Amino acid sequence: MATSEQDVSTIDVVAPIVGNIWQLQAEIGDSVDVGQTLMILESMKMEIPITAPRAGIVTTIPVDLAQIVQEGDVVATLTVD
Amino acid sequence: MTQQLERPLSGDTVGHRQTLADRRNVEVPAPRGTRRYTAAQRAEQLCDAGSFIQLTPMHAAGASGVVAGWGDVDGRPVVVISHDAAVAAGAISAVFADAVQKAQRLAIDRGFPIVYLNDSSGARIHDGIHALHGCGGIFKNNVLAQKRVPQISVILGPCAGAAAYSPALTDWTIMVKDQAQMFLTGPDIVRATTGEDATAEAIGGSQMHTATSGVAHLEVADEDHAFAATRHLLSFLPSFVGGEMPMRAPQKPDPDAEAMLPYVVPDKASVIFDMNDVLDGILDAGERFDLMPDYAPSVLTTFGRLRGRPVGILANQPASRGGVLDAKASVKASRFVEFCTRFGLPVLTFVDVPGFLPGTVEESRGVITHGATLLHAYAAATSPLLTVVVRKAYGGAYIAMGAKSLGADFTWAWSGSEIAVMGPGGAVALLHRRALAASEEPDALRAELAADYREEVARPWLAAEAGIVDEVIYPEETRHRMVDALAMLCRD
Repeated sequence: MATSEQDVSTIDVVAPIVGNIWQLQAEIGDSVDVGQTLMILESMKMEIPITAPRAGIVTTIPVDLAQIVQEGDVVATLTVD
Repeated sequence: MTQQLERPLSGDTVGHRQTLADRRNVEVPAPRGTRRYTAAQRAEQLCDAGSFIQLTPMHAAGASGVVAGWGDVDGRPVVVISHDAAVAAGAISAVFADAVQKAQRLAIDRGFPIVYLNDSSGARIHDGIHALHGCGGIFKNNVLAQKRVPQISVILGPCAGAAAYSPALTDWTIMVKDQAQMFLTGPDIVRATTGEDATAEAIGGSQMHTATSGVAHLEVADEDHAFAATRHLLSFLPSFVGGEMPMRAPQKPDPDAEAMLPYVVPDKASVIFDMNDVLDGILDAGERFDLMPDYAPSVLTTFGRLRGRPVGILANQPASRGGVLDAKASVKASRFVEFCTRFGLPVLTFVDVPGFLPGTVEESRGVITHGATLLHAYAAATSPLLTVVVRKAYGGAYIAMGAKSLGADFTWAWSGSEIAVMGPGGAVALLHRRALAASEEPDALRAELAADYREEVARPWLAAEAGIVDEVIYPEETRHRMVDALAMLCRD
């Protein structure tokens, strides 16, 4: 069980639109800045960057290259200060 | 505050005057809770200094719970209706509703915008059916006013029932963060009726309504920002349908942005960019007014100016979700186009759209109905429509973004743009299915055919030769084309 303190400091990054994971640009353990591109989603023939909503450490990336994700699916989690 | 008189008055007159003084000396309840202003002070803060005047103050005095009147905003009269949360939580009594309807009637008859400063828990239960009857009358006048004058609702506290429904019958709704909520009923009744346990913010907070539900169109930090935003919004609008446009001194675009115009669109068609960089290089320099910035951000709906004239701008925003049209973006876009054209504002449409987003999620959201609403808004428009294809315009989304066929007065395409029934990838897969299946190197063939399609079919020359776009232009020519077109089309 996660404690409530851990819940507060972990945030989900979600897919903004249905598409497939075209490029991964961050790895688990990476320290990322706010706005930094974590991965690129390919949808509607567009390269749609998924960026870090806050600075933090990438703790999970529960998707693989070429995987189809739906709008709202969690594609990464960050631990933030 | 009676003036000093030079000659003595008779006893009766002195008595009458004293009675009037007493009647005027009604104690105004202090602002409720953490609120900074009384209902009247809010109206005064909204209006030009010293210009707010109450209508029928004795009718509405004391227990009615509302202050209605008029004042100037940038020198133009505006009717203001301000709920008083200090009286029965701003609940709508029969007298309250009557005062609101009288003010609405003045605005409709004389052609003044209406600003509602809402802070009310809904119909006053003690007034029973009389309160409900009054709420219905307010709604009816909201709808009558839609045909005539701009209506802006500013939500300054928890608004339930009729106080939340009336804004939905007005044009634009502004909410104050952490202070305003809108809901059918608040947390207590939600819990009692369905068992759902949710906070007021979760049920009807400003973040939810401006980003998720689309019920409200702008979130601001505090009351003063709400009044400033309302004034700014009104500065782009005529006072009534057919009224004079509020012109300002023409401004050149930001020179750096103008110089960058030929470089804004990336070479690679799949790479995103910020459409604001295009708008900066074309519109008059100065602050624009973005509506619904957090809702369906793949389209921008913003007011700006072109040579001093107010214009509505609908633009795809590739920087958000690739600039796609979907159900929510269509709702946002159609609402904006309908509003602008109702009040005679020219609509400038900037197109870079990869298409309507297909799939189960969008179909279940009713993308057909909502997309059709955008088609309808353009097709029914009577104000000038100018459209420029900045990069991509494919398929049904090409039509929906203010195409010539829907009634655009002028359409232009930038020299590097693509206009086609579908993008190169999809078109090649359909047109060359057999050749691709038979090929030993299908990927290479697909790339080659797609490149041919892009250059020979999708470029805007076919559309220009057919007269479906008026002209293919350089990006840096856009402002002059639009200025010249509006000089011809706007004869006021």
